[in-house]
Amino acid sequence: MMDREETKLRRSPFNLRAPELQAYVQDIACRLGSEHCPDIRVHLVRTPYFNASMAPNGMMQVWSGLLLRVDNEAQLAAVLGHEIGHYMERHSLERLRAAKSSSAFGQFLGLLGPAGLLGQLGLVAGMSAYSREHERDADRIGALLMNRAGYDVAEAPKVWGNLMLEIQASPGGGNSRNPLFASHPASEERQEALGALAAAHPGGAKNDEPWQKHCAPFLREWLGDEVKRGQHEESIALLTRAGGRALGRSEYLFARGEVYRLRAAEGDLDRSMEDFAAAVAAGNEPPETHRALGMIYRTRKRPAEARASFERYLELSPQAPDVLMIKTYLEELSA
Amino acid sequence: MKTLWIVLAVSALGACAPVQTRKVDSGEQTVGDRLVVKLDGAWNHITAPGMGPAQTWTMEGLPVDQLLVYSGLKDGEVIHAQPSSSTAKSFSFRGNMQPDEIVAMFEGMLTRDGSTFKLVKLEPSSFGGGKGLRFEYAVVRKVDSVQLSGVGFATVSNGELFALLYSAPRLGFFPRHQGRVEQIAGSAKISLKPAAKPD
Repeated sequence: MMDREETKLRRSPFNLRAPELQAYVQDIACRLGSEHCPDIRVHLVRTPYFNASMAPNGMMQVWSGLLLRVDNEAQLAAVLGHEIGHYMERHSLERLRAAKSSSAFGQFLGLLGPAGLLGQLGLVAGMSAYSREHERDADRIGALLMNRAGYDVAEAPKVWGNLMLEIQASPGGGNSRNPLFASHPASEERQEALGALAAAHPGGAKNDEPWQKHCAPFLREWLGDEVKRGQHEESIALLTRAGGRALGRSEYLFARGEVYRLRAAEGDLDRSMEDFAAAVAAGNEPPETHRALGMIYRTRKRPAEARASFERYLELSPQAPDVLMIKTYLEELSA
Repeated sequence: MKTLWIVLAVSALGACAPVQTRKVDSGEQTVGDRLVVKLDGAWNHITAPGMGPAQTWTMEGLPVDQLLVYSGLKDGEVIHAQPSSSTAKSFSFRGNMQPDEIVAMFEGMLTRDGSTFKLVKLEPSSFGGGKGLRFEYAVVRKVDSVQLSGVGFATVSNGELFALLYSAPRLGFFPRHQGRVEQIAGSAKISLKPAAKPD
C-alpha cells in the first residue's frame, strides 16, 4: 500500500522536480540515518506548511514550507533526525496497529493517500499522530543523530522557538489554535529538553551558507506560496526573522511588503513601501516589486511615480501575464 | 455521462448533508438582486448547507467543473464557505480593491487546500456593463493532482463585487465549456436597483 502511495507521490505535480536539492537533502538524511541510509528515500513536496513525515517503508516527505523555515542544515537535520527517530523506534507501526482497531485507521490511510489530504498542517497534526512520549523519544534520538553526524544540537530548540513565534503572532495565537501542539510536548518543555541535550553535546556545524545557496533557486516560488497562504501575521513574523539571512534579502523584503500591501490594515501601505524601497536598494529585487510600487502610487494619486514604476516592471518582465492591465494603467496615467 | 457525474457527486455530498440540484434554464436569469445573465444552455445549480456566498453552477457535476457566480458581495464579506472547524485563513472582499488584489483574493481562496495557482493572463474587460477585469489561470488541485484551467470575470459596482469564476480540467472539459462561460460573461448586466423577481 505504501509503495503504491510512494509511486503516486513520485508522479505528483506537487513533487518538487529539483534533483540537486533532493540529493542534498537525501545526503543529510543519510548522514543522520547512517546504517539506515539505504532505507530512506526523501521526497520534496511543494506545500507551504511546516511538516516532514516518514512512513514505515522509509518514504520521507519534506514539505517546502519546512524548507523555507529552517535557517541552516543543522535545523533541517533536527527535523529529519526526529523523523528518523520515529522510524527507528517503529512508532508509526505502533500507531498503525492501534489505528487498525479504531476509526482513526481511515485517517491514517488518508495520510498516505492523495496528496490533497496532506494539504493542511492541521489535518495531519490533528490526527495526534504520535503520543507525547513518542515525540520525546524522537527528539532525544534526533539530537543524538545530529551530534553523531557532526551538527550543532543547539539549533534543534531554535526550530521550535521559531515556529512558536509564528503561532504566537497569529490572531488568537498560542498552542490552542494549532493542532500540531496538541500532540507534541509543550514547546517550553521541548525547548528545555532539547537545550539540555545540546549542553551535553556541544559544538558541531550549522552550515548556513550551503543550505541557503541550495535553496536560493526556489526561494521566490516558496515565498510566493507563503504570501498566498493569507496568514498575514504568521508570514510577517517568518519574513521578519528570515529576512536577516545572508542570501535573498530583496526576496524576503518584497514578500513581506506584499503581505502588508494585501493585508491593507492601517499603516500597512507605508510599511509596504518601505519594504519595497529597501528591496530595490538591496538589488536583484523581483520585477513585481515595481508593479506593487506602481499600484500604491496609483492609489495615492502620484502619477509620475506610478508611471515610472509600471514602466520599470514592464521593462524587467515584458512577458508578464498582466501586461495588458499594466498598459491600461499607463494610458490612464498619461491622459 | 453528465448525469452520472452529477448523481455521483450529489450522492457523495448527500451522505452527510441535504444537497439539492436545481436546473437553471436557458434564457435570461437573474442572480441575486442585481445581476442578470443570458444562458444558451441549462446549468445545474447545486445548493447545500454551508455553501456560498457564490452560487455554484456546474455542467458536468461537482467536482469536475464549477462556475461560481457572485452577485453583489459587500465590503468585508468572506468570498467562500468557511467550515466551523477550519483554522485556514478566510479571504474577504474589500470595496476598494484593485484588480490585482481581487485576483489575489480569488487565488488565496483557490489555494486554501494547498492547491497551486498560476496566473496566465490578466486584462481589462467590460463586465456587467461597466469596467472590469478578465483573468485566466491554471490550478493543480491538491486533492487529486488534476490540472485545471480557469477563467474569471469581475467588476465592482457601487462597492459590491460581481464575478464569475469557472474552473474545469484542462483537457476536455474546460475547452468544452469555455465559450459558453465567455458568452454568459458577455451577456451580464448589473442593474442599479434590484431586478424585479418573477411571480
